[in-house]
Amino acid sequence: MRASHFLRNAACLLAAARLLCAAAPQGRTVSLYVTVEKGGGLVTGLTEKNFRLYEDGQPKPFRLEPPETPATIALLVEHSQASWPYLNDIAQSIEGFFREAPEGNWYALATFSNQLKVEVDFTKMRGRILEAFSELGQPLWDAINTYDAVWEMLDKMGRLPGRRVLIFIGSGYDDFSAYTLDEVRRKVEQTNVVIYALGAGSMLRGSYEPYLGNTARMNLYQAEAFLRMLADKSGGQAWFPRFETAYRDAMRGIMQSLAAQYRLVYESTVPRDGRFHKIKVEAFQVVNDRREDFRVRAREGWRY
Amino acid sequence: MLKLTELPWLRSGLACLTCAALLLQTAACEPRQPATPKVPLQPAVFEPLREALLKSYEELFEEAPRLEFTAAQIQQMREYLRRSREYCVSRYKDRVKEHEKNLESAQAELKRRTATLSDAERKELHCRIQNLRAVKSQAEVLANHAIPVAFENRQAKLDLIEKWPAQLKQIQQEIASGAYHNRPYGDVKDIGFREVGKGQEQDVKLGEDTVREMRQTGLMPPEVKNEAVQKYVADLAKKIAARSDLRVPVKVTVLNSKEINAFALPGGFLFVQRGLLEAAEDESQLAGVLAHEIAHAAARHGQRLMKKATIANLIYQAAQVAAVILTGGAATIGTYYALQYGFYGLGLVLSLDLLGVSREFELEADQLGVQYAWNAGYDPSGFIRFFDKMATREGYVNGVSWFRTHPPFYERMVHTRREMLFLPKKEGLIRQSAAFEQMKKELAKVTAEAEEEEKGRPSLLAPEQGCPAPEKIEYKPGDKIEAICALPTS
Repeated sequence: MRASHFLRNAACLLAAARLLCAAAPQGRTVSLYVTVEKGGGLVTGLTEKNFRLYEDGQPKPFRLEPPETPATIALLVEHSQASWPYLNDIAQSIEGFFREAPEGNWYALATFSNQLKVEVDFTKMRGRILEAFSELGQPLWDAINTYDAVWEMLDKMGRLPGRRVLIFIGSGYDDFSAYTLDEVRRKVEQTNVVIYALGAGSMLRGSYEPYLGNTARMNLYQAEAFLRMLADKSGGQAWFPRFETAYRDAMRGIMQSLAAQYRLVYESTVPRDGRFHKIKVEAFQVVNDRREDFRVRAREGWRY
Repeated sequence: MLKLTELPWLRSGLACLTCAALLLQTAACEPRQPATPKVPLQPAVFEPLREALLKSYEELFEEAPRLEFTAAQIQQMREYLRRSREYCVSRYKDRVKEHEKNLESAQAELKRRTATLSDAERKELHCRIQNLRAVKSQAEVLANHAIPVAFENRQAKLDLIEKWPAQLKQIQQEIASGAYHNRPYGDVKDIGFREVGKGQEQDVKLGEDTVREMRQTGLMPPEVKNEAVQKYVADLAKKIAARSDLRVPVKVTVLNSKEINAFALPGGFLFVQRGLLEAAEDESQLAGVLAHEIAHAAARHGQRLMKKATIANLIYQAAQVAAVILTGGAATIGTYYALQYGFYGLGLVLSLDLLGVSREFELEADQLGVQYAWNAGYDPSGFIRFFDKMATREGYVNGVSWFRTHPPFYERMVHTRREMLFLPKKEGLIRQSAAFEQMKKELAKVTAEAEEEEKGRPSLLAPEQGCPAPEKIEYKPGDKIEAICALPTS
């Protein structure tokens, strides 16, 4: 009787210790990708002393290292029958990618309507992306399951090493995804992938928005907010071009941002407690004893 | 008024008729399974014929005149091969359907239960889906490529056994009478002094423009960064070009791609892919391929094709058409231009008129290529041996059967062999060289580096970790098809 009591207590202690261990801070080396802007232009050439890093409000030591090359860049493109009003926006974005993407990186193309499809796995021949896109033909389905596609892409990319970038090209609308907005948000927070979003259909918005009903207007705002969330949470950027050539310009902007990225490497000690832990990065320079702060794009935090 | 209930026999008769009609309809809707093919010949005939079909083309050219099979026996074998192919393909298509059904069911389950699955259950489902995708893909490759190509290869060899003896007699008669001198490009002793493609120098600018555009498309593989390999191939091409009808300098680039391909652009621009160098077993094989590409440039096929393209009123720019037809590997370059013209309808292909033209050009390049390799001192049979190997072993790897090309494989083989027989006898033709073997050693380093990079290539299709290895059908191109599809032999 006493022995079984002892065993039960021991088991309880063991379980409690395991729980405690899981929640205790554990150091893990992470790379934080950051771009710095001043007056809309990218700032390059900064050194370690130009940055400050805070995790959950606590200053963290870090080192500045060159971003890993080649970068692993995937394009996730909406390709649904329902996308027809803004197919040209998507085509312009791909054209822009083709013109602006530098040689040497790994590039992949995935499309989605009702489900995700990998059209081109990672290749250094960026022409293959354009080739595959041009051969897509008429979409079969009219669903736009954006949340599922983003979740699955992040899941796939999360397993890859190095600097990972997702370029989303689509409206941001969602039809019948199995994953919810909250689940996608959590996935973005858990995965170290920088997301850039190009809002397809933004050109039409200017013309049609005044005539939209309340529900349609809400859907529009929700789609746009989703794309902004992807970018802000992950340290990327969202674009909503209002004229045709701006899609190419936006793609140039993405490639320039990637070329100007900084990589802050540090030991993250936030616990694996499933909660969100904030990160803050400051970038500045001191001119005539006055500190001049820059705008920083970095992921908002981690969730383990 | 007559009621149906008053005539029970009529009622039961109608019911029977309806049932019979339904049964017949069901039977008609069921796809008919091809029966297991029966061996149509006596073992004493069947076995030697079957063995002959497994020999190389070079061996068959030698042995076919001594083989004694009747036209009826060959016809029966042809029918047996046709039925065997249908039978094997249908078996693997059935497997594809079965895997597809299981895959859909597993994916539906995943979708339905995704929010409630435990990690272990999710893992198990992922592994199951992964395995089903792998086995389905294997079955598709076998049904759509490997099996048809293997049987097309045997049909081509059967054609050779049937037709070559008569063709050989005709060739011997032409040689005896001296009539062979009158064939097109029969003046082989005047290579370099005759006019094959007038105005070649005009193609150089066009070639430069095309090369630049191809590089801009991002579809051109990077160059091999090994001077020894680049120099060896360039020297070999120059040696052949110096003994050809090409009057402009030849410029060769070795591309770092595992594809087995080479292509020529107008103006003497040759591109050879690493995979081709790996596949070539001796210098005469590589010389045969380079000579074939030099022949395209010498005869100005690219430029002549562009004229046809303009006539055919294609939307592709003429220079791209030239690249498309001659390259094979870079055939999809035109899609970039298609994108400029509209979002849909991009499955544009070259018109049949142009394919007809390319057929004529390929035969011409085969003939001239054999002449140039021979004139440069190489064994011209290298070209046939290389073709044989590629068609048999690698034919389906890239999804394109060499037997479905224009012109048909058999026709190209016979055409090339015929030209070889017409060429004056020469002693000491080169098959192998120390330089080739040295190049292979250098190439091995390039290949090792490329494979290392390939290993580090990230993938969105990376398999789920921790799953058992997917089931695998053990079949390599060039293996006997009986290894995966049991056929009766008696």
